[in-house]
Amino acid sequence: MLIVFYLLFSLEGMAQKQRFPKPEFGSGYTQPTPATPEPRALALEYTDVVILLIVLTLASWFAIRKRSRKGLLWLSVFSLIYFGFYRDGCICSIGSVQNISLTLFDPGYAISVTTLLFFLLPLIFTLYFGRTFCAGACPLGAMQDLVIIKPLTMPKWLREILGIIPYIYLAFAVLFAATGTDFIICRYDPFVGIFRMDAQFHMIVLGVAFLLMGMFIARPYCRFLCPYGVLLNWMSRFSKWHLSITPAECIKCKLCSDSCPFDAIVYPSDEKQSNYIKWGVNRFLIFALLIPLWILAGGFAGSKAHTWISRANPTVYLAELLLSKPEVRADQKNLDVQAFLSSGKSMETLVREATLIREKFNSGGMIAGGFLGLVFGMTLLSQITYRKKSDYQPHKGNCFSCGRCMSYCPVKK
Amino acid sequence: MEADDKLKFSLNIALVSGIFCITVALLLLLNFMQMSKNKPLESKAITSLVKRLSLEPNNDDLKQEIRNFDLLARKAYFNSQWQVKTGGYLLLFGAIVFALAVRVVIGLNSKIELPKAMDENDMISRIIMQRWVIITGSVLIVLGLVASLASVDHLKKYDVNESVSEMSAAVNHNNIEVITVGRNPVTEPPENGLATTKHIIVNASLTDSSSSKAVPVVSPKIDFPTVNAIKTNSSAFRGPFGNGVFFQKDTPVEWDATSGKNVIWKTAISKKGFNSPVIWGNKIFISGADKQSREVYCFDRNSGKVLWQRQVDKIPGSPDVAPKVTEDTGYSAPSLTTDGNRVYAIFATGDIICFDMAGNRVWGRNLGLPDNHYGHASSLVMWKDKVFVQYDTNKMRKLMALNTSTGETVWETARSGKISWASPILAEINGKFQVVLSTEPMVAGYDVESGKELWSVDCMMGEVGPSPAFGSGLVFAANEYARLVAIDPVKNSKVWDSDEFMPEVASPVSAGGLLFIATSYGVLACYDARSGEKYWVKEDGPGYYSSPVITDNKLYTFDTSGKMRVFEVAKTEKILGEGNAAEKVTTTPAFTEGRMYLRTPNFIYCVGIK
Repeated sequence: MLIVFYLLFSLEGMAQKQRFPKPEFGSGYTQPTPATPEPRALALEYTDVVILLIVLTLASWFAIRKRSRKGLLWLSVFSLIYFGFYRDGCICSIGSVQNISLTLFDPGYAISVTTLLFFLLPLIFTLYFGRTFCAGACPLGAMQDLVIIKPLTMPKWLREILGIIPYIYLAFAVLFAATGTDFIICRYDPFVGIFRMDAQFHMIVLGVAFLLMGMFIARPYCRFLCPYGVLLNWMSRFSKWHLSITPAECIKCKLCSDSCPFDAIVYPSDEKQSNYIKWGVNRFLIFALLIPLWILAGGFAGSKAHTWISRANPTVYLAELLLSKPEVRADQKNLDVQAFLSSGKSMETLVREATLIREKFNSGGMIAGGFLGLVFGMTLLSQITYRKKSDYQPHKGNCFSCGRCMSYCPVKK
Repeated sequence: MEADDKLKFSLNIALVSGIFCITVALLLLLNFMQMSKNKPLESKAITSLVKRLSLEPNNDDLKQEIRNFDLLARKAYFNSQWQVKTGGYLLLFGAIVFALAVRVVIGLNSKIELPKAMDENDMISRIIMQRWVIITGSVLIVLGLVASLASVDHLKKYDVNESVSEMSAAVNHNNIEVITVGRNPVTEPPENGLATTKHIIVNASLTDSSSSKAVPVVSPKIDFPTVNAIKTNSSAFRGPFGNGVFFQKDTPVEWDATSGKNVIWKTAISKKGFNSPVIWGNKIFISGADKQSREVYCFDRNSGKVLWQRQVDKIPGSPDVAPKVTEDTGYSAPSLTTDGNRVYAIFATGDIICFDMAGNRVWGRNLGLPDNHYGHASSLVMWKDKVFVQYDTNKMRKLMALNTSTGETVWETARSGKISWASPILAEINGKFQVVLSTEPMVAGYDVESGKELWSVDCMMGEVGPSPAFGSGLVFAANEYARLVAIDPVKNSKVWDSDEFMPEVASPVSAGGLLFIATSYGVLACYDARSGEKYWVKEDGPGYYSSPVITDNKLYTFDTSGKMRVFEVAKTEKILGEGNAAEKVTTTPAFTEGRMYLRTPNFIYCVGIK
């Protein structure tokens, strides 16, 4: 094991370290933290894919067949070390959403096979085995999982409301990636700074804050922020084989009811619910009819807000800055402005480029707004629908397949 | 190991690792604060040693001492970085041990849990949920709409109005046409009946651009100044022909504005301006302007008294609202030019005006509001009966020749390059004068009579500020981030170039087979004009905006702090004297009859050997 780790870290030294440190500190210029680590040999990239495949296979085997919490725990520790600390949190399936978006909207951008596989493999496995990626392969999840000490139960309504945030984050991440603005998932990844030990101070603080919060609110990033989790949630709902609390028939002993730190166990249906069916039917119809209205309103607001949102794009921001404050051209400390001035590019070209990007934001904002409107509409509708449950079951969408609940079940095969 | 022993052991581990984490975290915090406060290159010891070095430039021991201190400071810095990184790993390790120990403690302390009570009413929870979804969704939609209302689309404004300044909207609102083509001037009868009273008033329409074509104007016959007359005076920015070389002798090499040493006189200036003095005979001309008004001043060269001061107003087509300009360009950056008969001034509003030497207005016209994101800055230069205007805007670049008597356009040449803030110079090439311009992408020469482009070399880029220079039969041009280029205008080819030192604002100057470059970061470099061989480099002071000029085999430089350094025009660095304006200097001095005239933000100085 030690030899393997020695080799891994030696390889990292060869593949990633810059030969000379950057000694710039006299001018006050702060070296930007790169969003991605140094490039890596293609063979090593494929090695990453193979390792991901092995980890996903093992995680699925531990969750479905072996039913081993310990197996999943140690697998997640491995993933934390390998995909987190050794691979510096990159390449990562969560961030790959952005690469996919950029590929779809920018014909000049070609996605690598590795990135594509990192995006697809977890989704495919989830479609068959549930979110075993979250259980054993995700370094972000693993890090948060390890610090869970005293998880608190949150009210259902609050969980559901906070559960909308990942959709919003996903919509913005796709919008920003598709317009070539930024990879915000990577930029604001709270844990990548800890993996790399070189993030900006505020990002380190954010990462530590998430870990501290994670002691009591289990896996807060996974539950209330992760945009890739949205896709995994969708896939997992249709998973063919999903982790079950009991290996046989549930005896409703309730021993597992408090076992899930993520509040992802669905209790058997309350009989009293039948009293509300009439009320529910009326409201169902209203909410169903409101969905198109939500989409239209969201699309309209998204489109209208595009001017403001598009300022996140550096080209648009620079053009607007130069137009609204021409005196900034004399500011020698504004490196963006000085870089533009030294590039020889004309103002007309800059404005033209910025206008094109803003147009993309207009249509993209409309789509993103419409998508969020749909999410709100569907979330409302889901509050009216009832499915009768007779057993204690993991929620197929929200369950991370961590396997904690399995050991609580007294029923054996 | 018994459960109690395990518990005790885990508690101790948790305690030790907890204390370890807190200690490391505190040390890291202290280290971080220390690193933030102590910048290695801002060390007081090094700064004082460097100051000493400026007084003792040949002290090798001192240089070695500075190097040692510098190395020490860098080592300390990188050592701190190493400490932060190692400390980070130690903290992480400690935190993992702490978390594991706490988990074990909690695990050992755990009791059999009772099944969770179903105390949450699902229906109420759903109702609350619905309420919050509606509230959140509505808030997001409202936020989107508020964001749209609160945002101004400057890009759209640019597209619609084709203007970067706020001026465009105001001008359109006032129904004043903003055009880039020149309008005909209005000539006015002078106040005191000089020869120019024969000018007729031209009916200049605000909207009819076709009126820019020939209009019969009766002009008085005025003799043109000879080359010698121009060389005797200082007719334009950077002296005769705008070339940076004066032909004056016995100019002062020392002065001090604070003590008054060698200061013959100084006169306060009422309006701000970045233009440099031009001189003819006993008269010095400068201009000043602000957002509200524009003025031209004439001083007596011997006493510094204001001979006359004229408002630049009532010019047809002049915008009601001044365009947006940057603070360091202002409304009167271009220097004036004079031919001894008249003086010509141009402003950021596009107003160009001509006064006779007595201050009578001869003609005035507006060339169209310049769409210029810094403000118009190109100075004027004249030859014979023409005053040349490099009228570059973001929309159109052109070189104009205006009739000095009437102001009407003699010719104008549209240019394909980018907007430039450099000034035109006159260079005598093959026995004929040419107007030479520097802009992106080319440095080019134009026939003074027809405006025809005679040669052009693509070698420049960026927002060009430094004007070209002519010497040793070559044209020199440079710009920061671009290159320093020597061009043979006859062969229409580049002779040599360099990218080592390049000026941002100050123009190059060439005389005696040498070329001098002054950069905005404080480097003064001397090259062989023909070969490009670098002879010497002097790095001192905060940087140069004022263009270096040559007279009497002396190179005069002013850095932005106002310090003057005079060097011998020679292949080796030799400082002849120093002076101090005691305030910021960005303009270029002018010389005549052994005296130097300098404009500062607040005064105009006459410096001479007392």
